[in-house]
Amino acid sequence: MKNIFLVFLSLFLLAGCVQERIIDEINIEVGSAFDAIDEENFTGAFLIQDYLPDKSIKDIVYQSTASLRRDLMMNIQKQSSKEIFNGGLLITIFGNKLADTGIIDFVDTYQREPSIGARNYLATSSGSAIDIIRGEYGPQGTSNYLFNLIEHNIQRRDVPRTNLHIFLRDYYKKGKDPYLPELTKKGENELEISGISVFKEDREAYVIPQNKMFFFKLMVDKHSQGSFRVHIGKNRDADVESISSKYRLKLVGKSKEGANHVSIHIKIRGMIKEFTGKRLDQKEVNKIEKKLQKIVERECLKLLKTFQEKGVDPVGFGYLHRSKIRGFNVDNWEKDYPNLTFDVKCNVTIVETGVIE
Amino acid sequence: MQEVIQERFKISPFLVIYMVLSMQIGIGVLGFQRIIAEDAGHDAWISVLVAGASLHIIMWMIYKINESVNGDIVTAHEFIAGKWVGKILSSIFIAYFLLLALTVVRTYVEVIQVWMFTDINLWWFSVCFFLICIYIIYGGFRTVVGISFFSFVFHIYLYPIFFFNLQYAQWNHLTPIFENSIKDILLGSFHMSLTFIGFEVILFFYPFIKEPQKSKKWAHFGLFLTTIGNTILMIISIVYFSKDQLAKSIWPTLTMWKIVKLPFVERFEYIGIGTWSLVILPNVCITIWIASRLLKRIINIKQKHGVIYIVIAMSIAINFIDTREKVSLLNDYTGLAGFGVTFIYIPLLFIILMIMKKVKKK
Repeated sequence: MKNIFLVFLSLFLLAGCVQERIIDEINIEVGSAFDAIDEENFTGAFLIQDYLPDKSIKDIVYQSTASLRRDLMMNIQKQSSKEIFNGGLLITIFGNKLADTGIIDFVDTYQREPSIGARNYLATSSGSAIDIIRGEYGPQGTSNYLFNLIEHNIQRRDVPRTNLHIFLRDYYKKGKDPYLPELTKKGENELEISGISVFKEDREAYVIPQNKMFFFKLMVDKHSQGSFRVHIGKNRDADVESISSKYRLKLVGKSKEGANHVSIHIKIRGMIKEFTGKRLDQKEVNKIEKKLQKIVERECLKLLKTFQEKGVDPVGFGYLHRSKIRGFNVDNWEKDYPNLTFDVKCNVTIVETGVIE
Repeated sequence: MQEVIQERFKISPFLVIYMVLSMQIGIGVLGFQRIIAEDAGHDAWISVLVAGASLHIIMWMIYKINESVNGDIVTAHEFIAGKWVGKILSSIFIAYFLLLALTVVRTYVEVIQVWMFTDINLWWFSVCFFLICIYIIYGGFRTVVGISFFSFVFHIYLYPIFFFNLQYAQWNHLTPIFENSIKDILLGSFHMSLTFIGFEVILFFYPFIKEPQKSKKWAHFGLFLTTIGNTILMIISIVYFSKDQLAKSIWPTLTMWKIVKLPFVERFEYIGIGTWSLVILPNVCITIWIASRLLKRIINIKQKHGVIYIVIAMSIAINFIDTREKVSLLNDYTGLAGFGVTFIYIPLLFIILMIMKKVKKK
């Protein structure tokens, strides 16, 4: 009897020991966007979802200006009827100007805050980030739309894998620069991924245009279901789909002073799903393979040269040196990088040509 | 001098493996990677392996000490230093085990405060935790061993979760192997001690093992398992984080769980931290049991009373460690004490004991 009394006593004592967070009584921040106003101040917007009784989602945006992210949180709490928690964050967008001046202060908060997961996406925008988050993109809610937009482009298309963890990992890695997808508003309620922003430290230094994203992904990630259109002649086009690719970087020459050579081997396997032309025989298939090989080799090399000119290293050649050369000092990498030479070798195999001959 | 332990209070030799495992897997596993990597860089896994290998020598010494006096460390102390000095030597270990228990509970509460509930009350939580410990210890030594078996079984499911992190593995973080100097790697091994200490408990409960000869292989097997486990965890952390990122994370193991997504749970670290309370439960129970057992052996009070005194002392002491800085300091001191006991005191005791044995024989 005495024991049972003690059990009940502890139940009453322990209940409510810590602050409770009932899901109906809090606001969950699911997306945020930041735009720079001037050197010091910025505007931030938090996206909050309200779940309506008919299972649809209403997006609410709270906006304020501040000079510290914490201040912003405090200002916005003053606007919200319920307390805002940021455990459900899915996407963060940084405006064009802000990305140019540096974003690490914002990302650092995310790293420090234990309630924010490592899987959420970061993105940049070519214009104002808040405009993007204020758009209406259908009944699933803005944050779900943005999250799914990036996710499916990573899984099936040309955006290399990215999330908060990968960004931070690359940011803190000496000899590799991080990159994020860039979003552009096309119309009132339309959006597209318009390129990949490559960062120098935490500042946006170069944007890879949309039509080069395919080649960039070939060099930094694996394609699993990509597609690419090959033009082989007049009225003859082939759509190579279900592209899976692998890449390998090989360091030739191991001098510590730089002036090394890196050869990149890319292996592509794909299927032809669409073909406009007379007949698709083995000869034609070989032609397509050769053509795609040539395009990839040329475009990748061009892209690498551009990176060198801009002084960014998203592929991580500096880190490659560190991991292959014993006692290599990555701190001098910036000086050595312009002297690096490349060659790209591509190997394309077309495995299927569809159900007809 | 040596009391005889009744057969019904003794444990089977294979259960020693759970005692070793549950003492070694404690709060250190949540955050050892950063400290080792600070010294040994991307060769930190070698440090872990080296530290683990050296433990087998210490384990061999522990068994030799116990065998030669056929009793626990208190008997050994009395054998070499006489009754009074021996007792003083043994009482130092009461403080050592109190320090261990305090560190484990305080660090765990800090993890809860940072990751889950910022406003959890340190004192209330620790008192509740200690009450459970008292309850278990009142069940006797066999119950304590049973809890360590259960905690091992209940938390084992956490380990396959780390394979999620291998999706993000960058294997070139590991090369070139042996780039760091041997001195750095050994320094890393030295810092590994907080994670690895705890297995010296065998010195104290040796008389409770049935056929202790047979328990040797299990004790060594336990050490082997934790070494391999920690090495794998270290390798996963190195390939998952970049170097400077790892240097920033206080609890890399928990940070690694942030990327895990399962169909039924959005964020895994909450489950992990919750389960970890089961991991530290036997840890604290064993240390308090040993401290109270030492009290009984030294000043002859009832063990049931001793436990209460110890818990009261700890409940008071824990209030003084209230900031991150102090917790960190406490961890440093405990690591240092653990290193001193394991790698300096035990070999010293072993050598003195062997010499005394030889002299007395003549």
